[in-house]
Amino acid sequence: YLICASGDFVKVYSVNTEETLRLMGGHADLVTGIQLNPHNHMQLYSSSLDGTIKLWDFMDGIPIKTFTVGSKLLALYALASAEDSVFVVIPKKGERDTFQLASVKLTKGAGQDLESKELSVVLDGVGASVKHIAFGREGAYVASVKGVTLQVYFFKRKLLNRFSLSTIKTKGGDNRFSCVVCHPAEDCIATGHADGKIRLWRNFHNKKEYTYSTLHWHHDIVMDLAFSVEGTRLLSGGVESVLVQWHNESSCQKDFLPRLGSPIEFISMSSDGALSCTLHTDNRITIINSNLRFSRSIQGLIKSRDVKTGLVVDPRTKALVLNGEPGHLQFYSLQSDQQLFSLDIVQRQYIHEAGLKQSDLVKVAFSAQGTWLATVEESEEVADPELQLKLWFYHEEAQSFVLNTRINTPHDNHITDMCFRDMDELGDDSLILVTTGRDCVFKVWVMVEDTDPEAQQSVSWTCDFVGSYHNYQATNCCFSEDGSLLAVSFEETVTVWDSLTWDLKCTFCHPPGNIRKICFGRLTCSKYLIGATDYGFLCCWNLLTCALEWSAHLNVVVLQPDPLSEHIAAVSWLSKESSLFVFKPNEPRPVYIQRNLCKEKVLLAAFVPRDEPEMMSSEKYLWLRKSQLFFLTDTQELMTLSTKSLEERLTPSSKQLAVEESLPVTPFSLLLGKHRRQQAQEDADLGKPVVHSKQEKASPAVKELLHTPAHVLPSASFLCTIFINSLLISKENKSAEEVADEVEMESEKAEDDSDEEDVTAMEQEDTSHMELLGEMTCKLSKSQEKELRKIRKMDYSWISAF
Amino acid sequence: MGEFEVHRVRFFGLVPAGVRCLACHPRGDRLALARTDGAVEVYNFAANYFQEKVIPGHEARSVESLCWAAGDRLFGAGLSGDITEYDLSGLSAARGVDGGGGPIWSMVANSTGTELAIGCEDGSVKIFQVIPGGIQFERNLDRRKGRVLCLSWHPSGTHIVAGSIDFFRVIDVTSGQTVQRIMVNHQVEKAKRECVVWAIALLSSGTVVSADSFGRVQFWDWEQGTLAESHTVSTSATLSLAVSEKEDSIVVGTSTGATYQLQLLPVKLGGVEKRWVRTKPFQFHSHDVRAVAHSPTALISGGLDAQLVIRPLMEKVQKKGYDAVLRKFTFPHRRLVSCARKARLLLFQFSQYLELWRLGSTEETGKDGEVLPLCRMPEHLVQLKSKGPEHIYCSCVSPCGTWVGYSTASRFHLYRVHCDGDSVSLRKV
Repeated sequence: YLICASGDFVKVYSVNTEETLRLMGGHADLVTGIQLNPHNHMQLYSSSLDGTIKLWDFMDGIPIKTFTVGSKLLALYALASAEDSVFVVIPKKGERDTFQLASVKLTKGAGQDLESKELSVVLDGVGASVKHIAFGREGAYVASVKGVTLQVYFFKRKLLNRFSLSTIKTKGGDNRFSCVVCHPAEDCIATGHADGKIRLWRNFHNKKEYTYSTLHWHHDIVMDLAFSVEGTRLLSGGVESVLVQWHNESSCQKDFLPRLGSPIEFISMSSDGALSCTLHTDNRITIINSNLRFSRSIQGLIKSRDVKTGLVVDPRTKALVLNGEPGHLQFYSLQSDQQLFSLDIVQRQYIHEAGLKQSDLVKVAFSAQGTWLATVEESEEVADPELQLKLWFYHEEAQSFVLNTRINTPHDNHITDMCFRDMDELGDDSLILVTTGRDCVFKVWVMVEDTDPEAQQSVSWTCDFVGSYHNYQATNCCFSEDGSLLAVSFEETVTVWDSLTWDLKCTFCHPPGNIRKICFGRLTCSKYLIGATDYGFLCCWNLLTCALEWSAHLNVVVLQPDPLSEHIAAVSWLSKESSLFVFKPNEPRPVYIQRNLCKEKVLLAAFVPRDEPEMMSSEKYLWLRKSQLFFLTDTQELMTLSTKSLEERLTPSSKQLAVEESLPVTPFSLLLGKHRRQQAQEDADLGKPVVHSKQEKASPAVKELLHTPAHVLPSASFLCTIFINSLLISKENKSAEEVADEVEMESEKAEDDSDEEDVTAMEQEDTSHMELLGEMTCKLSKSQEKELRKIRKMDYSWISAF
Repeated sequence: MGEFEVHRVRFFGLVPAGVRCLACHPRGDRLALARTDGAVEVYNFAANYFQEKVIPGHEARSVESLCWAAGDRLFGAGLSGDITEYDLSGLSAARGVDGGGGPIWSMVANSTGTELAIGCEDGSVKIFQVIPGGIQFERNLDRRKGRVLCLSWHPSGTHIVAGSIDFFRVIDVTSGQTVQRIMVNHQVEKAKRECVVWAIALLSSGTVVSADSFGRVQFWDWEQGTLAESHTVSTSATLSLAVSEKEDSIVVGTSTGATYQLQLLPVKLGGVEKRWVRTKPFQFHSHDVRAVAHSPTALISGGLDAQLVIRPLMEKVQKKGYDAVLRKFTFPHRRLVSCARKARLLLFQFSQYLELWRLGSTEETGKDGEVLPLCRMPEHLVQLKSKGPEHIYCSCVSPCGTWVGYSTASRFHLYRVHCDGDSVSLRKV
């Protein structure tokens, strides 16, 4: 299992299937640290900014205990040697930006919610990040780095050693520490530095005779380090997105795993050393096996530098489509919180370097059926952008988009908007693409049959019409629902064009201020055109009368129509809070208002159609019946409106009100859980289908047997008959040999089972009796084994008697 | 302050000789250094690393190895096949004894300083006894094929390790037999290159430390013949190695000019288990570091770039002072240039010849720091080759510029210089 802190939640992933197995919520603020309970590997501690430490059973996702500490907790460390206390980083009282490491005594008690305010400060002036503190071999010492100082505190001797490096940046060197880890078996501390060096400190008991050696490969800051379980290998990663493995602390032997996609943020090693994983800045976890091969990746929503494409919904997969890796388009499934696939649009090697001009994807549009995809890419140069319009066709056999037409420089200046004509019933011939550009024109692109027999494809796209209006820059475009009208906004004016003849039908204007967004009403409201202006007006024009129907004073940043209903969502931004208004164009009163939606500015929004219309209990959320609204804020957090807020408010475990954070992008730390147990389970799973039916029948007796502690069990000879009887009932009518085989199989199965159930039994018991219980289960399984062996012998004798 | 004309003398093309070997005095107050031209220098640590003595080189004598023995006696051995004792008061090579095994590649003295062991081209290791007034051949140890490039005594004096190409061997001194022969290149079979053991050391614990041309420093158990640890410190060859007296620190010189320190550190606090760890790299030299030495407080390295670098170990220096400063000896400490003030002549001393130059002159004056145009370029007047195989020890030109004198270790020469216009003639006096 891989456990990862993600926003307010702790997520448990399966290492083998990449699936999110469990989502453990309950913290009221960002989860800052997670640590496996060193005394019970089925349990997990998590700390949060809300000042609580929670103990979880991550197998079942149950919170066991909550310890309230009080102050903000910025990091959490658990030690095997410290019996009932954990270490946390807390802000120092009365001082800003100074932090201290303190140990918290976890009070023992029966209840679920406990107070543990017993804090004792261990180290002062530590860094706030999890990576700045590391505990050494068997918890003998703690190392902390901040700035250019390394502090080592020995618990037994109560000795604090400080080592400082020079602050002078010579030859591009930068000695500031970025991370620290300790060797698991030896007295060795590895530190990463801002200039890419790794220093291995030794002999740091001695204030004077300390010594260090240097490993240097990274050209920029070392983001994180991790020692292997035995300490023979050291992994390091940084912005190069290359994982480096150092052998035996020597600078000559190193292995690389390059092209990991994006800068490495965290590195973690599984407790059995078989796997390691890296967490990347673009919100992805890569799992790597021990021979430094890429194994698999857990991919959430990729955090790209800038979402220029907007949130677009793929009509085919209902996935959210937006910028992913540089130059790529990601298809993100909202249901499974997974990336479906990533489409390389720019098809150029991305080179990581500050200040380099890169080509990136800026606009995306889908046709109504999702068969055509139009993308626009441009280089980052402001004055003379290198533009390319690409049209992709969805290839049914390849199950992906295939490039159909590439148009170089479709406009002379930046493309501001792009849309397809949405006409479901008219087939492919009516498909029209409209692009608007800052070069004051809008262009209409149509499909033409290719006459050239050598061409590989039958159709391609070409420009059909170029329209302009008074030499104003075209900013937005939008088709009406039936596709007969095209609205194009030119700075302050909205123009409406007939899509058959390309005649200018009428214009609307609401000075002052440029038009920011426009959209047509849907269904019953299709005669309305909605526009939002820069000066904070939302206007609704009636297309039949060509007059303003109503207008409202609202600083709209996002205007998004629901494709399945007549509702339109508008998100306004006013004095550091976003508010959501949902209205129907035919009436100026909003259907729904949600003030103070979030603190961040909402940049984009999208309605995603639901698979099946949801039954709404309250009138208030009726507009969310057919589709769900998603927002993307400027911190790249994706949010959605939840309709279940009322029920959720009743349960104490969840604090979420109306806004539910679906995917926060700042996972804070992670660690790899027990892999061994997973495999044991898997083995059991493999065996299951074969003897499934029989096992079920036998199971009550077996279970009873296995759940009883060993010391209360009667003698094995007494149990035997019951046990055998329980096994025999199901197969009276089978031939002797078959039965023998099956019994044998079953006994094996039972052995497997017994192992498994021991563990589960163990989990359910109180943790304080762990050691005792461990012994007991050990005895239990031994006695069982004996029993089972006896059964086998007995069985044969019984068969021969037949 | 008066006005000065500053001459930029860019025509003294002295090529200093590289450092070939270093020998630290066992008591740690003196350092002997041999250069590739055969010159031997003695530095005094106590007197602020002062260059006390210089014994000029000899054409027929190259020094491959130096060692201190029997108190303050300094012995050198070289490819000429002779073992030479240096007369430190008379600053000359005193007596030479033929080693009898061809060119000598290495020579070490035992810890008491009573015996010298030499490693020869023919693969023999010979023991010489140091007697008052000279040395005396004692006996031959087991001879194997392959030149012996490096030697090391066990501190107790019972065994010697001898490194040669592809292998090293451990020799029992009393019986003279090879007790262990260890191949060093068995791990890099596919490379099929020969692996030269450039330096070796035998520690009192019985560990053999070898530095080879694959850039490895390896620690062997000499009784079992097994490899204990291997540190690849460099991608190029490691050429030299020196162990501190406490045997807890090793300095290694490589052919890239970098030196590395390896330290014996406890694996755990308070634990018995210790391990060698490569700790500090230093890059002071531009070329091969042929010689390193380990004094109690400093790492000393000398390279083919003719630099001698003394890097103090900060943790061993108690107080801040002259001892705690990194020292580099780049310039020669002796006077190699003499000036005839009136005649505006400069005499440059090279190891085997002298050069007499006339300085350029100008008629203009200018402000501070201005470059004045020359009306007469500096002129090379004469090159005077010294006679005989001995190198020049010192030289001088008289202020009037008419007399030039130089001396070697054994003779003194005086010349009279006649300058008439452009023609210059020399006459031996």
